[in-house]
Amino acid sequence: MIISPLAFLRVGLLLLLGVILQLSVVGQIGVLGGYADLTPLLVAAVAYYGGSVAGSATGFAAGVLLDLATGATMGASSLVLTAVGYAVGRFREVRDPSHGLLPVPIGAAATLGWAAAYAGVSFMLDIGATVSPLVLRDALITVLLNSLLALPVFVGARKLLRPSLAVDPYDRRRRRRAPRETGPIGLRGLEV
Amino acid sequence: MFDQRTIRRRRAVLGVFVGLSVALLTAYFGESGGGILHALQRGAQEALAPVETGASRALKPVRDMFGWFGDTVDAKGDNDKLRKEVESLRSRLARAQTAQRDVRQFRGLVGLQRESGFPQGTQPVTARVIARSPTVWYSSIKIDKGSGDGVRIEQPVIAAGGLIGKVTTVTGGTAEVTLITDAQSAVAAQVMPDGANGIVRPEVGNPNDLLLDFVEKGRRVTRGTTVVTSGFGTGRVRSIFPRGIPVGRVSKVNLDEIDLYQRVHIRPFADLRRLDFVQVLTRRPPGQQSASSGQSGQVVTP
Repeated sequence: MIISPLAFLRVGLLLLLGVILQLSVVGQIGVLGGYADLTPLLVAAVAYYGGSVAGSATGFAAGVLLDLATGATMGASSLVLTAVGYAVGRFREVRDPSHGLLPVPIGAAATLGWAAAYAGVSFMLDIGATVSPLVLRDALITVLLNSLLALPVFVGARKLLRPSLAVDPYDRRRRRRAPRETGPIGLRGLEV
Repeated sequence: MFDQRTIRRRRAVLGVFVGLSVALLTAYFGESGGGILHALQRGAQEALAPVETGASRALKPVRDMFGWFGDTVDAKGDNDKLRKEVESLRSRLARAQTAQRDVRQFRGLVGLQRESGFPQGTQPVTARVIARSPTVWYSSIKIDKGSGDGVRIEQPVIAAGGLIGKVTTVTGGTAEVTLITDAQSAVAAQVMPDGANGIVRPEVGNPNDLLLDFVEKGRRVTRGTTVVTSGFGTGRVRSIFPRGIPVGRVSKVNLDEIDLYQRVHIRPFADLRRLDFVQVLTRRPPGQQSASSGQSGQVVTP
């Protein structure tokens, strides 16, 4: 990602919009007893397009914003989301994927990681109450809902961040598709 | 693939952000409620409140549409259950009306001023829910009434059906309500009409199931009985919840021979997953302060 004031503005706007939407709308729409969670999806989207450094910075900022807005323990969300952003960014840097449906498994994995790690941090902070097994069901429903939301969220994030992206995986994918009708007969399919 | 400088920079960025997060956690736990981070949270909530209110109102049709789908699926199952409940309530109503008439007659005879079940003189302030916490570990909602409307910290909050929580943070125009399903919540309560006392604790992740803990084994608790706040307190510590607010209905009783206490499962009266309007009880009932002080039973003020 090209670091510029405009890039900061774009990511900040994306996070602010995401957190407000999450708290005011998405967090209040219950589906099968669970709720979708835009925050890990947004962090994963920025990390996927921007890399591990942008991902971890976005994760930290999203966590701080979420904790500030909800009144939860400061630092818990940012710790987990930093790791989520870094992990997605590293995956992108190491594997260099470009499949069009990749946001779905990445969104699911990021949500699963966020839910599991946040539960772990909450346990370590000593919640002092009985935990129902239904927590697992809620987490799975959130992963499922986020998988459905991943594609539109990633597409929206990409559109917003595109001017600040150093490399756009989808552009590269399109460039790889060589024209198939070039060359003389017998050499069709080869670039000449 | 990457040069050493890039790798070092990447690791340094990760280290810095993880370190900052841990520092935030440590500082947050180390400071009091009036510390800088808590003040920052209150300021951020106050700043975001108008935006959240606007977004919540503007996108209510979207929420309602999704709610309609869910309601349609649930409605069929609820129908039979509600029919039975209506029958039961009708017979109860008839009994209650008879009893009420009897009570009126007795009042007239002996001039005894009796309180009805729910605490009187609490000056409820009605508020709209504008946001709710996305995780199950911190069950809280934000409402559009704050200190300007008389809302203060540790005031009880009710919704249609019964108790839902207490006010934990207040700004000028908003307040945050920690629900009784929050991991840190505890409410002194008693089973009616037998009077068995206990502490209502949540079962994190299951808002339809609360636990009434520390109920003495000898006390008979039956399924279907109502649980209300006890309002008990000692000389120094007093429950913030006035006596008589309905909490829920006993759904199951665990009688384990090893445990010292019974564990009573309660289904809350209020639907804690779908809250649109709530009421903050801004005044403590005048008759209950002296009545509660001096009674036995430790009361938790979470």
